[in-house]
Amino acid sequence: MVEFMNQALELAKEALTAKEVPVGCVFTVDGTIVAKSRNCVNLTRNPTRHAELNCIDQVIEHCKTNNIDHLSYFKKVCVYVTVEPCIMCAAALNNLNVLEVVYGCANDRFGGKTVLDVSNFYENSYILTGNLMADEAMSLLKQFYKGTNPNAPESKAKKKKEM
Amino acid sequence: MFEEPATKKAKLDPTTMTEKDIISDYINKIKNSKSNLQAVLSDELSHTIETTKVYIASIKDKRNISKAIQVLNEKLPLNELSHLKRVRKNTILLCQSSTVNTSTIEEYIDSKLPELKDVFELFSEIDVPSQAPKLKRQYTEAMKMWSCNFHPDIYLEKLSGDHFFPEDELNLHRTFMAIAFEAAGWYLKSTVKEITGDLLQAVNSSVVVDPSINSVVAVSFDNRLRHPVQHTAMMAIDDVARTQDGGAWTRKTTCNDSELSGIDMDLLEHLRIKFPDTKFGAKKFTSKEENIENGEKENTGPYLCTNYYIYLLKEPCFMCSMALIHARVKRVFFCFENSEFGALKSKAKLHTVQSLNHHYEVFTGFL
Repeated sequence: MVEFMNQALELAKEALTAKEVPVGCVFTVDGTIVAKSRNCVNLTRNPTRHAELNCIDQVIEHCKTNNIDHLSYFKKVCVYVTVEPCIMCAAALNNLNVLEVVYGCANDRFGGKTVLDVSNFYENSYILTGNLMADEAMSLLKQFYKGTNPNAPESKAKKKKEM
Repeated sequence: MFEEPATKKAKLDPTTMTEKDIISDYINKIKNSKSNLQAVLSDELSHTIETTKVYIASIKDKRNISKAIQVLNEKLPLNELSHLKRVRKNTILLCQSSTVNTSTIEEYIDSKLPELKDVFELFSEIDVPSQAPKLKRQYTEAMKMWSCNFHPDIYLEKLSGDHFFPEDELNLHRTFMAIAFEAAGWYLKSTVKEITGDLLQAVNSSVVVDPSINSVVAVSFDNRLRHPVQHTAMMAIDDVARTQDGGAWTRKTTCNDSELSGIDMDLLEHLRIKFPDTKFGAKKFTSKEENIENGEKENTGPYLCTNYYIYLLKEPCFMCSMALIHARVKRVFFCFENSEFGALKSKAKLHTVQSLNHHYEVFTGFL
């Protein structure tokens, strides 16, 4: 588990270097990594390009190329992600019936467990474990939020201040 | 409103009858709807107000009222019930029932406020609103229980009423919803022989509009059978990203002109014929770097789906509803409820979760 989370943290660091929200993710099946990615929201100008959704795309591509039924394949997937999946990603992972989700630090802004427990709305939800190397994951987020999101327009509060 | 003459109906090609009928049936229903759209409001606004129990008592001698208020406010402050008035006529609100830790309220007052011994009589327990009323209707309801403070909010009153949109604006919303139906028909026609009502409710399509120029920015259709994340709202967000020189998913036929790249080229041609009075295309996108180069201080072009509206056939699921929050959409309109997974009315009201960083308005009631 630690090994996979370490990989996810490496991807999160890569995101930070690319000035993206530092979240990294790897998917495993039977203990082998089958997808790995990080946030790329600013690059794509698409706010849904979270690490988890990028990994989902990789798995679907893999299944298509190898003629595997992705619906049954996802049921074997374990997700290692540095930050608790947001409500959107948690819903996506529930839709796909993944086996397990392990995350680093909690997400008190968008968390699919912390802010709104998405699993309540699905019959069978995955096994969810948090707090694996949470400090490392959190410290990356703190480094990012010390700077500002380069793509966001200036906030109203900030504008007012300048005036 | 008006029926097509029977002769014209009979001329329709029988092979396209079913599909034409159900789509144009809905479009006609929407266009001829007599009712205004309804906002989906938080439970706090739409349900009857919640209550909590408090103790009250009468003042034996009116001259003691001001002293009693002073002592009570100091020693038993109302805290989260601060919207309630302390006094109503000769009756005074003592405290919330849940704070009383003695067997009777009389004992509690005697022990907590010895200086007010023998000031009260006729102790009783009543229900009072546990939160400040937000709407006039709630205020009237609340006042039947106990006097309380109320600050009317004109916008909220209008939003909760039956006349929110003026008729000319309603027609615009109905047209954009009609485009969502037309697009669903266009996409389905290429994959199935017959469009049934059940099929139409099992898929979803969406139209993104920039209301500042009343122009259609993106038209997107569900691809969930081939890709489980590609629900229409997820596609729409990516289509909008493409109009801003971004995007993650590839499409079959899109325009090189980035303002029109949110809509399939063949579909655009079809929609332009069907809706000749509607504008299509996004405002020109400029990146932050370009803005700085041009000496503009702030970002003037579009950013994500900020200030955009989205019209969906069906209430979006949790994934899509949250995606639309990430995208900072301003308003979400939908036609059919999604009883199984709908996150904006049926199963939850994600747009009313206070702790989220963005909140859009949700409207329904097209049929």
